[in-house]
Amino acid sequence: MVSDRRIVSRTADEASELAPLACLVELKDITKAFGPTLANANIDFAVNRSDVIGLVGGNGAGKSTLMRILCGITPPTVGRIAFDGVEEPFAAYDTGAAQRRGVRMVHQELSLCANLSVAENFFIEAPEHARTRPGWRRIYRAAARAALDAVFPGNGIDVDSIVDRLSIGERQMVEIARATATPSVRLIVLDEPTSSLDMERSRQLRDYIRTRSRSGLSFIFISHKLQEIVDVASRVVVLRNGRVAWQGAVAQSSVSRLVELMGGDAGAAHHRFERAASAEEEVARIGGRFVVGPEISLRRGEIIGLAGLEGHGQKDLLRAIFESAPKARDGVSRLEAASYVSGDRQKEGVFPLWSVLANIAIGRVARRSALGFVLDKNEAIAATPSAQRLRLDAERFRSRILELSGGNQQKVLLSRAVAADTPIILLDDPTRGVDIATKQDFYRLCGELAREGRTLIWHTTEDAELLACNRVLVLANGRIVRELSGPSLTEEAIVAASFSHLGAAREQRGGPQRKGQSQSLRRLVDAAPFIGLALVLAIMTVANPSVASVFGVDLLLMPALSLVLVTEAQMFVVGGSEIDLGVGAFAGLISVLSATWLYDRPWAGAAAIIAALIAYASIGAIIQLRKIPAIVVTLGASFIWAGIGYSIQPTPGGASPDWLTALTNWSLGADVPTSVVLIAVAASIGVLLDRAPLGVALRGFGGNPAAMAASGWPPLRFALIRYFIAGLFSAAAGLSLTAINASSDINSGNSYTLLSVAAVVMGGCALAGGIVSPVGAVIGAVTLALIGALLGALGVSSDFNAAAQGLVLIALLAMRSVADRRNET
Amino acid sequence: MIAPRSVSDWAQGNRWIWSALAVLISWALLSAVTDRFSIASLSGILLSASFLTVVGVGQMFVVAAGRGNIDLSIASVVTLSAYVALLTVRGQDANLGWGVLAALGLGLAVGAFNAALVVGLRVPAIIATLATGYVLATATLLSNRAIHGFAVSPALKEIAAGRVFGAPIMMLLCLALVAASELVLRFTAFGKTLSAVGQNHVAARLAGIRVSRVVVATFVISSVLASLMGLVLGAYVGGAFLEMGQAYFLQSVAAVVVGGTLIFGGYATAIGVFCASVLLILIVTLMQIMQLPPGSQDMVQGVVVIVVLALAGREALQRRASRAQAEGPAEGRDAG
Repeated sequence: MVSDRRIVSRTADEASELAPLACLVELKDITKAFGPTLANANIDFAVNRSDVIGLVGGNGAGKSTLMRILCGITPPTVGRIAFDGVEEPFAAYDTGAAQRRGVRMVHQELSLCANLSVAENFFIEAPEHARTRPGWRRIYRAAARAALDAVFPGNGIDVDSIVDRLSIGERQMVEIARATATPSVRLIVLDEPTSSLDMERSRQLRDYIRTRSRSGLSFIFISHKLQEIVDVASRVVVLRNGRVAWQGAVAQSSVSRLVELMGGDAGAAHHRFERAASAEEEVARIGGRFVVGPEISLRRGEIIGLAGLEGHGQKDLLRAIFESAPKARDGVSRLEAASYVSGDRQKEGVFPLWSVLANIAIGRVARRSALGFVLDKNEAIAATPSAQRLRLDAERFRSRILELSGGNQQKVLLSRAVAADTPIILLDDPTRGVDIATKQDFYRLCGELAREGRTLIWHTTEDAELLACNRVLVLANGRIVRELSGPSLTEEAIVAASFSHLGAAREQRGGPQRKGQSQSLRRLVDAAPFIGLALVLAIMTVANPSVASVFGVDLLLMPALSLVLVTEAQMFVVGGSEIDLGVGAFAGLISVLSATWLYDRPWAGAAAIIAALIAYASIGAIIQLRKIPAIVVTLGASFIWAGIGYSIQPTPGGASPDWLTALTNWSLGADVPTSVVLIAVAASIGVLLDRAPLGVALRGFGGNPAAMAASGWPPLRFALIRYFIAGLFSAAAGLSLTAINASSDINSGNSYTLLSVAAVVMGGCALAGGIVSPVGAVIGAVTLALIGALLGALGVSSDFNAAAQGLVLIALLAMRSVADRRNET
Repeated sequence: MIAPRSVSDWAQGNRWIWSALAVLISWALLSAVTDRFSIASLSGILLSASFLTVVGVGQMFVVAAGRGNIDLSIASVVTLSAYVALLTVRGQDANLGWGVLAALGLGLAVGAFNAALVVGLRVPAIIATLATGYVLATATLLSNRAIHGFAVSPALKEIAAGRVFGAPIMMLLCLALVAASELVLRFTAFGKTLSAVGQNHVAARLAGIRVSRVVVATFVISSVLASLMGLVLGAYVGGAFLEMGQAYFLQSVAAVVVGGTLIFGGYATAIGVFCASVLLILIVTLMQIMQLPPGSQDMVQGVVVIVVLALAGREALQRRASRAQAEGPAEGRDAG
């Protein structure tokens, strides 16, 4: 596969020699409006074969919007697109079309399935080479290895490693390599590709870009690190306020010229806020990990801007201030109450069920004692003045918040802070995507609030807003590197300070030693089920040596087979980040069907079991289609399964078909316990399914459904498949119940439902989905099944069985929770 | 927080109305079709529904906090509490105070334990309450061995089965609970913050709400109500038996969902829980009258839960769609 592509690229190379300026893609006259704001205005943008275009511009200049249009994510308001000189209608141009045209984008927010291995992520992107047979991974391992080594020689990334366990920089490398390895790729858009790479890796990437571009591949390189742009690009395009400010050959530009061209936003300039007279009293202090120099004191009545390139710690600092107390925490101490206004309205701001006034009033209500009386009417009256201060249309006070435009929602959030009447207001980029009129209202109110003696701490990505602040703290790599005020507060100074500390690699959080520590804890957690089972078996053997005989093992483990099968069913559901409370009841139903109908009328019985399986799979479809919680749906379904079973067979009875009994009643010889063989077979099937391409795709959906959908995988089909597989395992468990007990009881599967969840969790599967470990789950199931026998061997009443199971589960979860938290910090 | 603009708006804010209508319609139909429904049978239904309502209201508080929170330990708490009552009250009215204290203590302890797992250790609520249920099951088995007999205190029996002016005392207590809960939800800071947490817990935290406290409170309320209900239910059935709480496993969730509380959190209604409880008991009673096998009762309850959820899911989808629309202009924030 790899060699094939080399041939292709060589021909491309020859072609490019023939027509060096062949135009690959051309965007013409692109305009994109968001409400009254123009993110892109009349942009003409062309990429030729072998081009490396450096795309630069300040925050909000329109780079991302333009790239989203190019990649088919967002359609433009007006504009045309042409590939190889042939124009294409935008109506039919989506992400799929862009991919077919050979356009690939490496996003800033990573789009890998973090729960899968590096090689598996290569599979998700190009599944067409996979075959369901052992060793299918080899193709992708080789492809991943080759791609990584081609771009980043000596990277040392293990292609079998789970992406989640890679560092941010390594993930970025994988993502870039994956894009370069895509078959038939012609243009790669790299959005801040080096933000987490060190100098050496960044140089390797640039070398690679130069080499590949010579053989006809084109690149668009977006970066705030302008020296890299000047180094790698063949042409540079500078955007400013949604327009092309300049474009030309890289030879005609330099870092200082580019900084100048990116320049200021003269249009929206406004004068600096007056500083309140009483600005001496301290309200908060910043120190610790957020500063390089001495502590910084924030005072009453000040408007303080937080500047820096996106993602350099401005948000962290705001959160730290919000969560701190008068006593310093994390180096930050806050002496007065604070409220927080987020610019991410949907995720962090609005309460979607409520009206505008209710959304404002909660700012007051939140600070009252729990049983304090709240009357909506009074709250509405109290909230009205703060809403009026922002010139919110009074007629809309009673509308649902979601009926308002983004800008007006933002006004509501600021009004909430005003209603809360706190001395400090933290603003997290509140004017993003907000029209100019709303911004003016916003600025006016901010000025008033500061004059009244409130302190505003304002993180913004708009330089013009920073210039209006009394003081600006510039952050780089998570620390305040400059403090600007008075005459020193200029756009050039802010830009210079933001860029000044970017030479070296961004610091990786947490030293290697700490990482090693949490790694060993994690390994202990991973090994816990195995250690647990070994302990249980050891204790039982000591207490009663006959346990170690073939007969003893069979006697103990045969009943565990059903739980093992139910656990595997549960595991596939949990892998999709859902929980099935109906597996046990379903096993009971199948047991009843097999001991009654299947025994009396085999064909009718078989048909009934197949129908039950289809019904079971359709539960998965309902959950996926209606986006409703699986827990409650499957809890409801469990009553349906139990009800059907109860109607068929009100009291335990029936008989096991001979062939079914024979399945559990054989022997490989006197030395091999049949139960162990059966459990091993069940476990192997689980492992094989999970390791097959299908299993990888199911895990992908559990880990990052959005990334799966973006790579073209259909969610509904896989929801059906997931529940069908779970149904098959659960049905097998039902059959085993009939075979082992030689009769059936609709309640026989009930206790397995909750035990299977416990076993899956014990085995190391993540309830959040995507992380599945079939062997661990089986071991967990066997351990839980043996706890009763263990207590018996120790002479403890079987009454303690359930408690022991519960406590084991809690202990394991507690351990895992601690391990996870260590990993986070 | 607003005066109703129209009937549909009013129904949005009072989602219990649908289950209430369903009760009235089925009642009317049943009275018309059969002659076995009388005031006497009505009060029987209301009494059963009252027991369900008490645990349902607890479950409602837990569900309202959103993030898939659910309390699966309710059934175990009910059963254990009935046994604890047998052990403490021992059929003597004089010991009733101890019984109530023990029930309260049990509820507080279980609720605090659940909350510690969910809030402190960040264990998903379903697993945490499930694990707690296991531990309680053992405690129940041990109590079962420790009890000396099934004596019920007369006063407790009176609360469980007695009547005032023909109305079951338990129903009056239940209605008082429903009224109090509805008032808490609508007219206290706790009710408002609970709704906010359920709608968007990140936004709630940033709005200054102490989210952990709210979540802890919901689990404690749920366990305490289940415990108190177990105390009275034990007196009603004349003792205790091992599976006595089991029926409330699904029914407490069903009463919440059918009553109009949003399963995603953010909106809760105690009146709805009551109406839904009556409706569920009505359905079961009807099936008993029609002499359908008990299995079909389970089936119908399961179907009701799934259908109601699937229909409510549509509304949530629409909400999400309108949210996505509102997000449209905000996309500009990615510019750059």
